[in-house]
Amino acid sequence: MHIMVVLRLVADLGGDIEIAHGGKDIDREWVDLKLNEFDDHALEEAIFLKEIVGAKVTAIMIDGDGVERSLQTALARGADEARRIAVDDTDGPISSRAMTPVVAAAAAELGADLVLTGVQSPEDIFGQLAPSLGAVLGWPQASAVSSVKPDDGSTITVQQEYSGGVSAAIRLPLPAVLGVQTASRPIRYVTGSKLRQAMAEEIPRIEATAAVAMPDVEIVELRVPDEAGGAVMLDGDADAIADEILRLLADRALLQVC
Amino acid sequence: MISQPAMRFDQPGRRLQGLLAAIGHRRLIRNRYSGILHAMIFVSFFVLATAIVQSFGSVLFPGFSLAPVGGDTWIALAQDVFAIVMLTGVALAAWQRLVLRPARFKGSNNTDANIIYILIVIIVVTMLLEAAFAIVAGSGASAIWRPVSATLGAAFTAMRMSPEFASQAHDVFYWLHVGAILAFVVYIPGSKHRHMLLAAPNVYFRSLKPIGQIPRPTPEVPPPPLAAATDFAWKDMLDTYACTECGRCQAACPAYASGLPLSPKLLITDLRDHFVTQPADAPIVGPTISEDTLWACTTCRACMEVCPVHIEHLPKIIGMRRTLIENGNIQPMLQTALSNLQRVGNSMGTASKMRARWTKGLPFNVKDARKEPVDVLWFVGDFASYDPRVQEISRTVALLFQRAGVDFGILYDSERNSGNDVHRVGEEGLFETLARENIATLSACTFKRIVTTDPHSLNALAQEYSAFGATYDVVHYSAFLLELVEAGRLPLGPTERRTVTYHDPCYLGRYNGGFDAPRALIARAGCAINEMGRCRENSFCCGAGGGRIWQDDSAMTERPSENRIREALALGDAELFVVACPKDSVMYGAAIDALGVSDRIKVVDLAELVMSAAETHS
Repeated sequence: MHIMVVLRLVADLGGDIEIAHGGKDIDREWVDLKLNEFDDHALEEAIFLKEIVGAKVTAIMIDGDGVERSLQTALARGADEARRIAVDDTDGPISSRAMTPVVAAAAAELGADLVLTGVQSPEDIFGQLAPSLGAVLGWPQASAVSSVKPDDGSTITVQQEYSGGVSAAIRLPLPAVLGVQTASRPIRYVTGSKLRQAMAEEIPRIEATAAVAMPDVEIVELRVPDEAGGAVMLDGDADAIADEILRLLADRALLQVC
Repeated sequence: MISQPAMRFDQPGRRLQGLLAAIGHRRLIRNRYSGILHAMIFVSFFVLATAIVQSFGSVLFPGFSLAPVGGDTWIALAQDVFAIVMLTGVALAAWQRLVLRPARFKGSNNTDANIIYILIVIIVVTMLLEAAFAIVAGSGASAIWRPVSATLGAAFTAMRMSPEFASQAHDVFYWLHVGAILAFVVYIPGSKHRHMLLAAPNVYFRSLKPIGQIPRPTPEVPPPPLAAATDFAWKDMLDTYACTECGRCQAACPAYASGLPLSPKLLITDLRDHFVTQPADAPIVGPTISEDTLWACTTCRACMEVCPVHIEHLPKIIGMRRTLIENGNIQPMLQTALSNLQRVGNSMGTASKMRARWTKGLPFNVKDARKEPVDVLWFVGDFASYDPRVQEISRTVALLFQRAGVDFGILYDSERNSGNDVHRVGEEGLFETLARENIATLSACTFKRIVTTDPHSLNALAQEYSAFGATYDVVHYSAFLLELVEAGRLPLGPTERRTVTYHDPCYLGRYNGGFDAPRALIARAGCAINEMGRCRENSFCCGAGGGRIWQDDSAMTERPSENRIREALALGDAELFVVACPKDSVMYGAAIDALGVSDRIKVVDLAELVMSAAETHS
């Protein structure tokens, strides 16, 4: 099995996010880029599969600032190969939807039979990458996946999460595309010494063989959420606060007090 | 058993000097009761050794006698007097161990100690009786030179003992004496009292490296993980065999005091037992020394500071932590912190671009040392840059520098965590990455010296980066502010005289000797210091060092920081708890809140104290 993992760098929400002049993007001056957390889980799941059933793992990213270091980290984590894909210069970051044809072409060229990526990202909150990749490649697709088990080599069974603690086991024929929500195990720590070894490796840069999709939609305005009022700070000792909470819940008919 | 080399044969003069200091009981006497009783036993041992020489020599070499050099006169007198000194010392020791029972003996082999007391008493008493019977029998030294034995002899004579009987009794006690000595000699190597033989070499072969360094074999080769006995150096093993189980380290340890499963003493004795009983390649981390034990250490160095035989606990703990890191055995909170450090160069995981945001609240722009030359490069550190509680103090420091006309700049988002605590967590690779990034950034800047507000950064910059060939003139802001005040550049006005106490940060005090500058500044700011009992070299760690601040403290019965605040409150009159480390502001602020004593004592940073005095200067 050859697993291709698609990784994306996103704005680090650990900083204060402000709207840039023009109101169509965030101010990237004070924010760092970090690996999308769900993509991190996709990578972990790929390495997990490699360890339990044997697979080749190739990590890919659209080239840009910080990409080489992220792919070196992926190698230190256990990926076998990494590629950064050069696309024509575009203004600002490329959205998940826009990168789809480029990534799909890479999957075909690398001969991947399973593509893993994060279920969503802070900049792709609807999780478009996995479904649109499936559509472009004509492969089956599942999102919100929390574990992947290979069956006989031609199919895989995945756990798909629904709300309210419900999940389903779904069988898909290979090749397939999965949007990973959580890996089967916690993300493992890569030691600095392994990272330092990986840092010596140069990541091959390949030219994109497909054009970036032109966005059908346009951001008109970004806004910081309106501050919602209505927060109440409760004072007093624990008993008084407990009584007050009980009263508030009962008043809102959220709780029936007998 | 195969062990690793340790370069401990250099500088014989300095080694001997330290050994003489140890023989002079410099560390032992800090605990007065134990120190005095040990000195009594120690000195008596050497005096009474002459009796052993006499006893064995006289039989093994016919005609041998100490008499020509004073064996029947002044040596006899010394033996008699020191027999009493020895018995008194042993009585004091037994009283301490059996009645006073200090907590530091918890976990020590007390039976072993008691057996030794009994053997010593038998040896000394049989010696006195042997001499007493000799006096009654009319042989041996004259009674004037053996006042104690003569008194006993006089009692026997009063009981109408015949010289013939006394002569036989003398022979009996001679053999009892010799037998007890032989029993002692046989018992010692298997007992903790082997320190009689190993303490001196252990002190002599102590590390003479700067104490803030974790030595690297070469700049390219990081120190190895310690996983099995074969990874330890011979000196590590000697350390464990030299341990007397006195427990001074345990009594000084903040992790032990907080209820975490670390006693530096038991760590050493467990290692010793492992070395003796387990195969050379048996894993140590896990089966013998638990993960929780290793992660409990704050690397405050209090244990090494008090150990009378100079055992080096920390290099072993940190070396075993390297094994944990290499095997990926890392607690979730610590993993998050280390991953953050890998990603953005600070443990909080906040964007590196946010690092200098605290400067936004200043009425002037802080120079970017990457873009223009500065006199003073200020290495700010993580907590001082990112923690909202400390950012205000950082601004105060900046305002003080400006007030004194200091030409200073910072590294903005190019500064990385210094790696001091990453190094002590055992993450060698990450430490090297952070250090090399900082060194690369610094080498592209023009500055005369580095000032840092963070003692941990001070230690890394001043002591650790030299391993990669980078040496700097680094000074802690306490010393720098004092310089400015003394040079008249930062005039301080009259202030209301207040009584304060001062907490020595481990990495400023014990590690870098910065004891006096903060105290001088406090005095200049018009305050009187009421010292806590545990001050200067014996300062009690806040609990944050060595990576502890990135770990869960829910297993503690009492946080070290709260223990420390209680100590300050017990002084009775200290209004302010003065600190000189950003982590201390955070730790003690939280401790005061947790104890609910904010109406009785306040944490104040040295810079804030100086600023309030500077503001009163017209």
